[in-house]
Amino acid sequence: MTTLPGLTVPDAEGATAPEPAVLLGLAGFGETRSPDPRIGGVGDPGTLVLAGPPAGTRGGGLDGHLATWGPLPGVDGAGVRALLRASALDGRGGGGFPLIRKVETARLAGGTPVLVINASESEPASFKDRTLCGERPHLVLDGAALVATSLGVDEVVVHLHRAAGSPAPLLEVAIAERRRAGVADPRWRLSAGPDRYVSGESSAVASFVDGGEARPLFTTHPLAVVGPSGRPTVVSNAETVAQLAVLVRTGPDVWAARGEPSSPGPRLVTLTGAVDRPGRVLEVSGQATIGDILLAGGLVAPPAAVLVGGYAGAWILGDEAWQTPFTRDALTAVDAGPGCGLVGVLPHGACALVETARLVRYLAGESAGQCGTCVAGLPRLADACEALAEGDLRKRGVRRMVALGDVVLGSGACGHPDAVVRLLRSMLHVFEDDVVGHMAGHPCRGADHPPVFTVPEVDVAIGRDDPREWT
Amino acid sequence: MSVDIRIDPILCRGHAICALFFATGVDLDQWGFGKVVLARAETPKDVRRAYRAAAACPNGAFVVRERQEARAQPVA
Repeated sequence: MTTLPGLTVPDAEGATAPEPAVLLGLAGFGETRSPDPRIGGVGDPGTLVLAGPPAGTRGGGLDGHLATWGPLPGVDGAGVRALLRASALDGRGGGGFPLIRKVETARLAGGTPVLVINASESEPASFKDRTLCGERPHLVLDGAALVATSLGVDEVVVHLHRAAGSPAPLLEVAIAERRRAGVADPRWRLSAGPDRYVSGESSAVASFVDGGEARPLFTTHPLAVVGPSGRPTVVSNAETVAQLAVLVRTGPDVWAARGEPSSPGPRLVTLTGAVDRPGRVLEVSGQATIGDILLAGGLVAPPAAVLVGGYAGAWILGDEAWQTPFTRDALTAVDAGPGCGLVGVLPHGACALVETARLVRYLAGESAGQCGTCVAGLPRLADACEALAEGDLRKRGVRRMVALGDVVLGSGACGHPDAVVRLLRSMLHVFEDDVVGHMAGHPCRGADHPPVFTVPEVDVAIGRDDPREWT
Repeated sequence: MSVDIRIDPILCRGHAICALFFATGVDLDQWGFGKVVLARAETPKDVRRAYRAAAACPNGAFVVRERQEARAQPVA
């Protein structure tokens, strides 16, 4: 932090400041444009995964699904694996791990694998998996059946949260429809777990479906080699398998051409923050930039910055984000990543430090309370971040916060503490000027701004005697 | 023989006894939780120390495993 340049405090009165869009030179902002063919919502023309009946119709049930896609082509296990390999389908839950590697590892490990489709979507602002399970349930189930074929298993667990708003009842209806229609399916088992952030992590999901607690495990082997049940365990995100159900019909080349080599196929994103409909899910293809996505998705004001990949994601300044394509390579180049597909807009006038402090506090409270550094470290990081946002932290305090982050990074059983540290580092890096201003005690212009990224309430202290239920 | 060393952060309670037996292989943070700095012990001396640390940990959090051979490539 010693390299932080001196800050010139912007004029807080700013009444005659130029329109931010002009200031930032955001191409296309404020213009009336024809709809972008690369971006669309549920049922919009041009979409691939979200193609079909409009939103709110459950995709027209099994009949609507069959009218759009036809029956699932008869492909054997080797055929599905060949498709996974040819398409290079990457995981859409956040990790971006290629599904083919999980499948091949599980097959090599021997024994009957456990297959879990993770539709729990613990990320509070993300709605893509809920939207898929609600509006396109038969794509998710088709894809799950295909992965089951590729693994040679006859049972699939679909894991969800048990909180209100879970698409479990809609999936049950879809499963009943398939049974009546005589679709050759694996056995379905719906699993409903606790509604907690870390409970959606893959080892926590594997633990829960095996009868344990929905808390992350310390593992010395990948789950695909050996899971908590002793059997190889493949946990795959709901969008990932829905993509498979699409590409088995279009062929891997047509599907992959919707993306680019570093991130093949179309992607689902959820918009949140200062957009006209937070929670809106869009399908994005090609080199569409975050600016294109925001223009198509209903932006209320030019972004000051964008939070990408999830609540524990990475910040990108507004003008940079505007021209960054939503692809893995392009996002990686600006120290971000697609994560779970969340695109959160921070408006001008809000403070990124205040927003980050709220997110860090929330994420600290969502620790499973298992690992020492997470229990001891995250609340302290949240304290420091809040103090910084309130202008109560000086250079030494920021140095301490950075050092504490270095200690916490890589010390947990799961990636939760690491993600918090990366969010903090992203804030310190991207909003360097703001950080310097806060360190100097300058009044924060965003202190009174209503919260942009809202978080569920976390009302218990984490720690070893955590009273929360994990089963 | 070489061994892989890991500390189970869920079981670790910060007794810091591992660092007593294996100071060159373990770092302690400010709370006493161990962080492995030598993830693979190669010399007989280090391997011996690693096993001692594992035996001394009251929580069984210090995990030493004989190194596995490189995993075969998956078959299609």
